[in-house]
Formats: sequence, C-alpha cells, structure tokens
Amino acid sequence: MGHGKWDDNAYAAARTFRAAKGVDDFGYTSVLRGRASSEWKADPALDPKGVVARECRDSADHADSTPIAVLFDVTGSMGTVPQIMQGKLGRLHGLLQRKGYLADPQLMFGGIGDADSDRVPLQVGQFESDNRMDEQLRTIFLEGNGGGQKSESYELAAYFVARHVVTDAWQKRGRKGYLFLIGDELNKPRLEAKHIRRIIGDDVRQDIDPASVYRELERKWHVYFVLPKQSSYYDDPEIADHWRGLLGQHFLKLDDPGAVCELIAATIGMEERVVDLDQAMVDLAEIGSAAESVSVGKALVHAGGKAVAASSTPPLLDGPDDVTLS
Amino acid sequence: MAGHIIVVGLGFGDEGKGAVVDALCHESPVVSVVRFNGGAQAAHNVVVGDRHHTFSQFGSGTLSGVPTHLSRHVLVEPIALARESEELAALGVADPLRLLSIDADSLLTTPIHVAANRAREDARGRARHGSCGKGIGETVWYSLLAERGANPGDTVESQQVLGVPGAPVVVGDCARPSVLRGKLDALVRFYEPLIGAGMSVDDLVALYRDFAGAVRVTTGDEVGRLADRGRLVFEGAQGVLLDQWRGFHPHTTWSTVTPDNALGLFGGREATVIGVTRTYQTRHGAGPFPTEDQSVLARFPERHNGAGEYQGAWRAGHLDAVLLRYAVAACGGVDALAVTHLDVDGLSVATSYDAPLPESGLTEFLANRTPELVDMPDPVAWLQEHLGVPVVVAGAGPDRAAYAVRAPVLH
Repeated sequence: MGHGKWDDNAYAAARTFRAAKGVDDFGYTSVLRGRASSEWKADPALDPKGVVARECRDSADHADSTPIAVLFDVTGSMGTVPQIMQGKLGRLHGLLQRKGYLADPQLMFGGIGDADSDRVPLQVGQFESDNRMDEQLRTIFLEGNGGGQKSESYELAAYFVARHVVTDAWQKRGRKGYLFLIGDELNKPRLEAKHIRRIIGDDVRQDIDPASVYRELERKWHVYFVLPKQSSYYDDPEIADHWRGLLGQHFLKLDDPGAVCELIAATIGMEERVVDLDQAMVDLAEIGSAAESVSVGKALVHAGGKAVAASSTPPLLDGPDDVTLS
Repeated sequence: MAGHIIVVGLGFGDEGKGAVVDALCHESPVVSVVRFNGGAQAAHNVVVGDRHHTFSQFGSGTLSGVPTHLSRHVLVEPIALARESEELAALGVADPLRLLSIDADSLLTTPIHVAANRAREDARGRARHGSCGKGIGETVWYSLLAERGANPGDTVESQQVLGVPGAPVVVGDCARPSVLRGKLDALVRFYEPLIGAGMSVDDLVALYRDFAGAVRVTTGDEVGRLADRGRLVFEGAQGVLLDQWRGFHPHTTWSTVTPDNALGLFGGREATVIGVTRTYQTRHGAGPFPTEDQSVLARFPERHNGAGEYQGAWRAGHLDAVLLRYAVAACGGVDALAVTHLDVDGLSVATSYDAPLPESGLTEFLANRTPELVDMPDPVAWLQEHLGVPVVVAGAGPDRAAYAVRAPVLH
C-alpha cells in the first residue's frame, strides 16, 4: 500500500517535532510564542526601558569582579546560539575560574533584535555568577523573526552597554570589561533617537552614528563581534568589512556555532595574557571541548593569534637520517 | 470589528474563508484562531505580498502572528502538521508549532486511516464521492464503531465492519505510549483486510510521542480560557453545503460545517456569525451544481485550486441564491456576510429554479434543475438587499491588501 512514502514523511515529521522541543528549555519563549505577537514583550527582568544602570560590583566573595556581557542576535537562525550557550554555561564559567583566566567573572546575557520591526528588539539581564545566569538565559525571549534587511540593532545594544552599565572593574581598577556581540548581520546605518527613547527611555533628540557608539564603548570594554557559521552571511564580504572597519581584529568568524562558549573563554584567556592560543586549546581539550577547540583556533588565528598546528598529534620525530646541515 | 467572530463558508468550500480570517486577524488584535471542524483537508489560501500559504491545520491568522487552537471537533494529522510547520517556517514564521494548542480529545488521523480512505475511493472507481483522500471520513467512521458497539459484519453508515474495532485514537494518547500502542495495534489489525500489513506501530508510537512533546495539548475548557483573554476568531473549514447533516448526500463531509460546534464550544458567549461567499459558485469534485457553467469556469481559472487526485475536478458556475439562502438557514441565520472575488464584473445570480426546493430528496432534485438567472452588477448591494444582512468583509483579489473590513451597517 505504498507505506514507503509515509515512512519518509513520518521520519521528516519526527525530526520537525524534535527540533521544536529544543525551545522548551526556554520557558519564557514557549509561553510567549503561544500568544499573539501583539502580546509579546521582554520579561520585566530583562527590559532595558528606564534602567539607570546594570551594575557589576565587587562583593566579599568576589573582590575582583570582571564583567562579561554576551549579547546575541535572537533573530532567525541565530536563535540557536542561546540554546548552545545554555548547555555550556557551566563549562565557560568553570574554565574562566579554574584556569585562572579571571578571578571573579560575572556574566550578563542579553538579546538583540531589529528595532525597526521586532516587538522586543533589546533585552539585557543582570551580572550574575551563579545559577541565576542560567535562569536569565532561559528568560530571554527568542523572538526569532527571520529575513529582512541584513541589519539588526546591534548599535542599540552597544549604546546601552556604553551608557547604562557601571562596573567596579573600571571605576576602582581601570580595567575593561568584555562585551561579546554574537550575530550575522550589519549594524543599522544610524542609531535612531526615536528607538533610544522608545526602547531605553533616554531623552535623546538626535540620531547617532553607530561608529561613534563603538568608539565610546571601546574606552571601557574589550568589544568583540562573533560571526558564527549559521547563515549565508558567513562568507559575505560586506559583513566582514563592516565589522573589521569598526572593531579591527576583534571581528571573529567561528565556523562551528557550537563553540561559542569556548571561543569566549579562549579570547578572554588570551586578552588577559594568561594563556597563548596553543595553551588555550589545551585547556579547552581538558574540559572536554577538544572538537570545539579546533574551530576556536581557526577563529583566533585569523584574528591575529598565534599560528596553530593543523593536527593535534605531534609531527613524526623520526625524520630522515640523511639530512645534511649546511 | 469588535467581539468574537465565527466564520463559516456558505458554499461547497473554497469561498475565501482563509483570506477573510487573515484580514480579521490583521485588522485588530485576536488572541487565537479556533478551528471547530474538519481536519487536514482544509485548504485556506492566504496571500500577503510575495508570501502565500495554503492553511490546512494551522489557522489562517498565522501570518499575522495569531496562535491557533484545534478544538476537540478537529481531526489532527501530525505528519501533515509537521510539513505545514516547515512550510510556515520557510515563510519566516518563527517556530510555528509554538503557535499551536490542541485539545487532548481531538481525534488523530493516522497513515492507516489515510490508506484505508484511498483504498475505498480507488475501489469506488468512477463513482467516487469526491473525498480529499486524507483519511478524514475514515477517522470519523472508525471512531463511531466503538461508540456504537459495532461488531464484525455490521453495517455502520453504509460501510461494512470488517474486523473488531478498538477505541479511537485521540491526541491525548500520544503522550501515553502504552495506551497509544494498544489502540494503534487494534487499528492496524482492523484495517488489515483493506490495506494489508506493513505499517510499523513502533515508528508511529515514537513519532506521536515527539509530536506530543512539541505542541501544547490542552484539557478542559481551553476555548473559555482563551476567550477570557480577548477576542477569538472561529475558522470554519469547508462549506455548509457539504455539511454532514445539511449537505447533499453522498457528496458530503463527515463534519459539522455549520456554526453549531463553535457555539457549543463557546457555551453561551456572544459571537457574530459571518457567512463567506464568492461572487460566483464553485465546487470540487462530484455532486449537484445547478448553476454550473463552462463559461464561468473559463473566466475564472483558479490560481491555488487544482484538481486533487481524490478530490476531482474544479468546477464553477453562477452564484446560486437558492443555495445561499439554504446555507444561511442551515446556519440558523448569519449576522453578516463576507464577500470575496469582487474584482470581477458581468456576473449573474440564480434567483430561483424551475421548481421550488422540496423538503427531501435534495440531491436528486438539484441534479435536474434549470436556474433562473438575472444580472448582478453590484454583488455587495445585491447580497445586502436580498439576504438582509450587512457585508462586513469585502475582498477584491487574493492579496490581503485587497481586503477591507468594515463596521457593520446598523439597520
């Protein structure tokens, strides 16, 4: 009775259902997606509107706090990045601390969308160093609208970090924090004043040039843009030129989107001059991320890190005997 | 338009219900579209700019971001649902399955029902009923067997019972593999004489468990809970002239097409019933069609409706006011009309036949009629005058931009 066709269809259907289940870990998204888009809004804990400042402070337990803000594009295909991060969060935090890259890392997560078209174009959490990180990540609304104009409102997120984040690292020690923007598109051509007013609440009357936002931001932050291989934009020269123009070698292309956490850890380890690239890769392998370390190596070597061996096995030591040294 | 709305088709299907529901959802906020009849055989076209989707199990408000609830009167086919979800995702709808909730009591249409449906239509040969071949009738029929305590050899709804029937499979079973397996085993055994063996129950159990994990399955009065949050739009499938009670046998569907199910789910809440009609008449496949006219068919070729393998040919004719009034009466009256395909002129309408409509024997009566045609230069004015209700949605083309929603004219 031609069941073969049904078998194929049933297989495809099962795959579709299993993929949909992955979002279940993001409870807030699940609830909101079940509602009309007119009801979508950021969770109050992540809503930037009216926030005076997100603070990253030292405490008795954490006397040497370093802020790490990870803000990712939550549109379209990029929506899987938070899911990947959620699975590896513990590893990232553990690696930073155990390997001595940072004494007291504090992480803040946020989501970036399109201020021209999305219901929730910006979400920013709090700096945390315990299980609340995980909770915050799960509360980010993965709005996930796809398509459009090849640009997202990264500059709006950059503006928020530049103007609305205060850190003891900078105020007490003059040390920069880390900001990782993860996405695959361009900044908007202008940071529009009306978006700042509506989404953040600052009484800004003039549009701002995104380049100036990044210049201001880089005074207090190490700013990186990570382009994971998730879409056709990975090989788009316009995207690469745009971000290199703004951030130089801090534009990182990552061919394995599953290695985002590892890339963040290695980048920080190297910036802090605790490890070089080779040692960072060894550290990654040690925590069970050997596969990811290869992609991390490629991302950072292109960004100007040290050359990396193509193979993790050492070259043969017993070479030919008849070499004449001149 | 304010308040809850029930949208029903007043023809043989294909009236434009999808576009009307989309227009209503786009016009003002809607909490959910609720399906209250039919199943995966629905084919409701919505066109928004360069995006086009034929809605089958998802509600036609999906492109406006409105969630869908499949009530217990809907037959659910998860394999087709997954395919539709992928199609919607390709159109830019984020995570379409998240937009769906399904009543646990909804009947499940399985590949076994579909195979049985097709086997029966194949056996009928030229005397096909005009079924969609999607297992809808078979799903309903099988569910009746256990309900009526049918035994092998009995005849139920003019079909012979070949084996020992089991309890019908419902959506709520999908999360309970042992219950599901028992029911599917019984189903496979029952249909073996008709379709043979070969369907893997193990694969189906695994598939349906994944399905139950990916959609929200509801129990109790979900429609009431949704209505408490705001406005609902009930999206009818098919047309009243195919209704299982009021249609023309045997060319009917196994589904209540009239607003009765929607009103029942709503338990006394107020809702506006909108009947949808084209400015001319169409039907798919076999069955009576008094105003059928080849010249109308030639004028209006269909962009999104071809001839289905099991469904039969696409047919067209003049608007039939006799059937329109019959459909309105079958609905217990409608509060308003939605008229689609207004972007045409030179239309005629049948005001009566050469004999009055009898009480019974409608199928045979309609097969031998000569309609009385008059010109209909302004369909909106004509329909408002002759049916005595306002036209609140007007469509003059396939695209959402061609639809206008107006406040009802008060008389």
